Amino acid sequence: MSPQSTTATSEERPDPRQWRTRRIGVPEPDYDPSAPEDVTILPVGSPATVRSYVRELLRRHRRSFVLIVAVNSVAVVASMVGPALLGGLVDDLAAGDRELQLGRITLWFTLALLVQTVFTQQVRLRGAMLGEEMLADLREDFLVRSVGLPPSVLERAGTGDLLSRITTDIDRLADAMRKAVPQLAIGLVWAALLIGALCVTAPPLALAVVLALPVLVAGCRWYFRRAPHAYRAEAAGYAAVAAALAETVDAGRTVEAHRLGARRVALSERRVAEWTAWERRTLWLRTVLFPTVNLSNMLIMGGVLLLGGVFVLQGWISVGQLTTGALLAQMLVEPVGLILRWYDELQVAQVSLARLVGVREIEPEGGSGTAPEGKEVRAREVRFGYHADVDVLHGVTLEVAPGSRVALVGPSGAGKSTLGRLLAGIYGPRRGEVTLGGAELSELPAEEVRRHVALVNQEHHVFVGTLRDNLLLARQGAEDAELWAALGAVDADGWVRALGDGLDSEVGSGGLTVTPAQAQQIALARLVLADPHTLVLDEATSLLDPRAARHLERSLAKVLEGRTVVAIAHRLHTAHDADVIAVVEDGRISELGSHRTLVAANGPYAALWRSWHG
Amino acid sequence: MQIRDLPYSDPGAPDVRSGFRLLLWLGRMQLGGQLKALGWGVLQLASIASFPAVAGLAVTAVVHNSGSDLALAGAAMAVVTVAVTVGDTMLHRVAVTNWITAAARIQQLLARRTAALGATLTRRVAAGEVVAVSTGDIERIGWCVEAVSRFSAALLTTLGVCAALVVYQPQLGLLACAGMLALALTVLPLLPRATRRADTQRERAGRATELAADTVAGLRVLRGIGGEDLFLDRYRRASQQVRHAAVRTARMWSFIEALQVALPGLLLVGVVWYGARLALDGRIAVGELVMVYGAVSFLLLPLQLFGEFAMSYSFSRPSATRAARVLGLRRPGEDHGAARADIPKEEGKVQAPPAETRAPVGLYDPGTGLHAPPGQLTAVVCGDPDAAGRLAERLGGHPASEADVCDGSDTEAWAGSDTADLEGKDAAVQDRRDAAVLGGSDGEPGEADQTGAVHPEADRTGGGEERAAPASVLLDGVPLDGMPLEQARAAVLVQDKDPVLLSGTLAELLDVPSSGQVTSAQALEAAQCGDVLKALVQGSPDADGDPMRARITERGRSLSGGQRQRLALARSLLTDPEVLILDEPTSAVDSHTEARIARELVKLRSGRTTVVFSSSPLLLDRADRVVFVDGSAAAVTGTHRQLLHSDAAYRAVVTREPQGAAPVRAGRRTKAAHTEGVESA
Repeated sequence: MSPQSTTATSEERPDPRQWRTRRIGVPEPDYDPSAPEDVTILPVGSPATVRSYVRELLRRHRRSFVLIVAVNSVAVVASMVGPALLGGLVDDLAAGDRELQLGRITLWFTLALLVQTVFTQQVRLRGAMLGEEMLADLREDFLVRSVGLPPSVLERAGTGDLLSRITTDIDRLADAMRKAVPQLAIGLVWAALLIGALCVTAPPLALAVVLALPVLVAGCRWYFRRAPHAYRAEAAGYAAVAAALAETVDAGRTVEAHRLGARRVALSERRVAEWTAWERRTLWLRTVLFPTVNLSNMLIMGGVLLLGGVFVLQGWISVGQLTTGALLAQMLVEPVGLILRWYDELQVAQVSLARLVGVREIEPEGGSGTAPEGKEVRAREVRFGYHADVDVLHGVTLEVAPGSRVALVGPSGAGKSTLGRLLAGIYGPRRGEVTLGGAELSELPAEEVRRHVALVNQEHHVFVGTLRDNLLLARQGAEDAELWAALGAVDADGWVRALGDGLDSEVGSGGLTVTPAQAQQIALARLVLADPHTLVLDEATSLLDPRAARHLERSLAKVLEGRTVVAIAHRLHTAHDADVIAVVEDGRISELGSHRTLVAANGPYAALWRSWHG
Repeated sequence: MQIRDLPYSDPGAPDVRSGFRLLLWLGRMQLGGQLKALGWGVLQLASIASFPAVAGLAVTAVVHNSGSDLALAGAAMAVVTVAVTVGDTMLHRVAVTNWITAAARIQQLLARRTAALGATLTRRVAAGEVVAVSTGDIERIGWCVEAVSRFSAALLTTLGVCAALVVYQPQLGLLACAGMLALALTVLPLLPRATRRADTQRERAGRATELAADTVAGLRVLRGIGGEDLFLDRYRRASQQVRHAAVRTARMWSFIEALQVALPGLLLVGVVWYGARLALDGRIAVGELVMVYGAVSFLLLPLQLFGEFAMSYSFSRPSATRAARVLGLRRPGEDHGAARADIPKEEGKVQAPPAETRAPVGLYDPGTGLHAPPGQLTAVVCGDPDAAGRLAERLGGHPASEADVCDGSDTEAWAGSDTADLEGKDAAVQDRRDAAVLGGSDGEPGEADQTGAVHPEADRTGGGEERAAPASVLLDGVPLDGMPLEQARAAVLVQDKDPVLLSGTLAELLDVPSSGQVTSAQALEAAQCGDVLKALVQGSPDADGDPMRARITERGRSLSGGQRQRLALARSLLTDPEVLILDEPTSAVDSHTEARIARELVKLRSGRTTVVFSSSPLLLDRADRVVFVDGSAAAVTGTHRQLLHSDAAYRAVVTREPQGAAPVRAGRRTKAAHTEGVESA
């Protein structure tokens, strides 16, 4: 994934220079834990997008930046008063002056210290505030974009990629925004002012900086070429160690039943080995960087002292100037360290930032369609596939009359669920059309579609928060009475009332754990509140324990009353009562009719029904 | 120990009596590394400390107008430069190595403990703790253990520099030492407060991340039903709270930092003022003044190290306590004395301990009277939905959930023997809150409530159930609970309702201990995994069309519920145990496919003992015999068709109501459906 790793592994005979460094140092380990295992489905921001976003961010916080630079400059200038005064003092002492106004010097010293203290405190605080503001902007912007994504994108990409962006990438950016950006700003101003002061105090001494700079630049270039990738791999490797363990914990039952304990331990140890291999690599990188930085620091300090000493002996500068210069040179260590420390953080952050702003590149879809007139859903000659050249549906035509019940049955992978998603307006057909009341469903925005049609699937997510929040999302501003009525409609009011806090009970992870059946009831209550006239049921109860499903079906029946229903049924008893049963095989509807008609027709459906009922 | 030698072949037996002892133990285990770090640390700090002396030398040389002295100072500076560079680099290398070896050791210990705890861990509230230790605590523990040597080095050097100052220039030296002490004492008390604020901030940040992750995870629901604004607002609030908490923390740190500027500054002012007066009196040379100035400013470096160590200790103490608690967890019945986390052995052979001669051959549960004869496919239908899962688990022997409930020494097992201190209790209460379940009563905190959290169903269904451990299930007359765990698991495989697909390639998934009699192709074929393989190949472009190399994501999330179920079934079939128990293996599979699976299952398991918990007629019809467990006992036994005709209760459970049927109409509807079925047959 990085240019280095490919050259390191693909070249059979590396040139001697490379060979030598490889012998001494630690080459990149072969296995790269940060290489994406799953194909990233959502786009990653292009450099242009990232740049424009960064520009926008900087514009938004321009004033804070200017303020920090100003405050920081004051603090740095105040910090240089000490060395300057000491330099003067040394000059006077060396000159044998006995008439020193020590009191006044001490007063100045103390005043400068006071200013430095106050302004340092302000710089730290304002830097943190700026970082936090930018970070908050970033994460909130990302979520705003995410909740506006078209349902088809979510359906296809899943939420895993988004999830890793909002957790891992935000985490990585946190350090960058919180520390790297303000610290770098501080460090740069600091170093520049110090060097400036050095030039002002004793211009010849700046020669020492010129001497040390090439060493520092060469070392840093070497380091920063390799560091970001290595640190990313190291972090990913460490995360993989924890992930392997978390999976063993999560799968405790399965691990024990299949006697996988030893294998899981071996896997964990392999992960430890992979992670520590990258730790060795980064340690080696620092083993090169540290002496370089130390050397250049010492070159500056030593250069100032020795060159300065010679200059003093030549009478070009005074002892006081030398003292001030040496102390300033010593102070330079800190900002240089600061810049080096945070620079690669910024590089790592760039990758995460690209992933975050990538979501901006997804075009919102729909919005141009006409409002539907009527409630009937029609699919005409629909062709559709997830990949450009492979169709899953081959010319499906189906009419769903308002108030009727249609069951889709058929083997796995036949295209039932895909057809259901087209009827629910999540995907648009490649050919043909799916209409609701005459309006093209895929042209309508999600906000409009969901007023008419809802897809009910196995995913009954219970959000972290109160039960009220979990219901309110379906009808914002609803009164408690409406919520209770909805819960009552799905037979859930009983257990909710039994909770100490009723609607205010905290549910979701961290709160009370609801059973899958209760989660399903919450999902159903949401449907009652949202009140769409057409429902597409996709194996809504299939993941439940069949024993629990029995109790739930009553709740579901109440929700279905008075609505048009398209049920993707894999249990025949669900199909039995439907007005129309469509048998889907290989992306086509092979049989269509009522239960009686199909049993009489003696086709595939009839055969299945017989085996079901013995 | 070098990083390249990791992982440890044996991470050792940790001292889990308390967090502090765990830290001590970790330090002891890397004594060599600690000493090395101490040595390099002293070299690094001492050479940095001697820099002011060299600078003073140079200034003196200049003041005395001596070129040769200046050259000498230059040579000294070269030596110091090399020493600083070597010391700094080597200290860093050794310190990082110490950190990493400590972290790797705990990770390995955790992995071993987790594997040993197995199923009991998922039932315990501690599952989250293990993950918390692995993701967050280890870093802090490693940091603290590693910082000990650097702290010691700083302490030694500081004492050395102070002593040198005092000897060299008693009054000035004493002033500097007193000032240092005052500095250390002023900043240290502030650190715990800053740490607390940082903790609050982390907690809020965790909450915000959780909300964001939760919102994204439920995004399809939000887009499908609505409520995006509601959740965005909520997230914005949480995000702003994080910001406020972070700024609060930063304010604290900014004050600490200001103090670290002001106090040493004042000290320097004092030193300069006093030193200048000494120089005026001619009692010290100008170069010496520069030297003392430099030495005092050097002392700020060890001061920072003291602060860092204090912080790392206050950070890592709760972490170490939690780690000790987790590493001290024991399975009920596991030897408490043996702290060593053994790797469970893979292949266990069932030897036959003395059998109870009166018990029937095959699998027999004295509790319910359920009997699965050898070589047959027995289907079990339960009238009480909650009882089925527990019965299935018990049939495998060593039931994890019951053991947990019955385990009287639970506290001991899970807080380590004598460390049930205040922190332990706090964490327990916290866990209880985390794991609290709907319907649980608001009782007083304590172990009794934990039990309630572990067994929510029991509480909801009245809680009046018999909780005494039922007699062990017998396999050919031998009690399974009496066998070593490994043996029991090898003999009987229980596939629970929610089997987990571990991430990795398909080949890795199917790489489980097995009899070797069933090939993976046979198992996949029998579980009707054809379309799953196709989906896997399509989802993994780098598998080059080979499904065995295709990757399965964590918990098989990229697959549908039915696909996951079939892969799990294939894995269990491949294992080919003597006795296979399947709990609702096809509940998410469509009828077409389920019918084919039922047919193949019978074929593949012919001659082996199989028990299937199901209520699907397609499976029941294929079973050699069907046992209907109503309440707590096996009520009737027969074939599916026999029971369908003879037993009304069985019929009511198996012939499920079409959707929309109210319970009032249940009787009529069942009959109608049933009659129709008979007619068409």
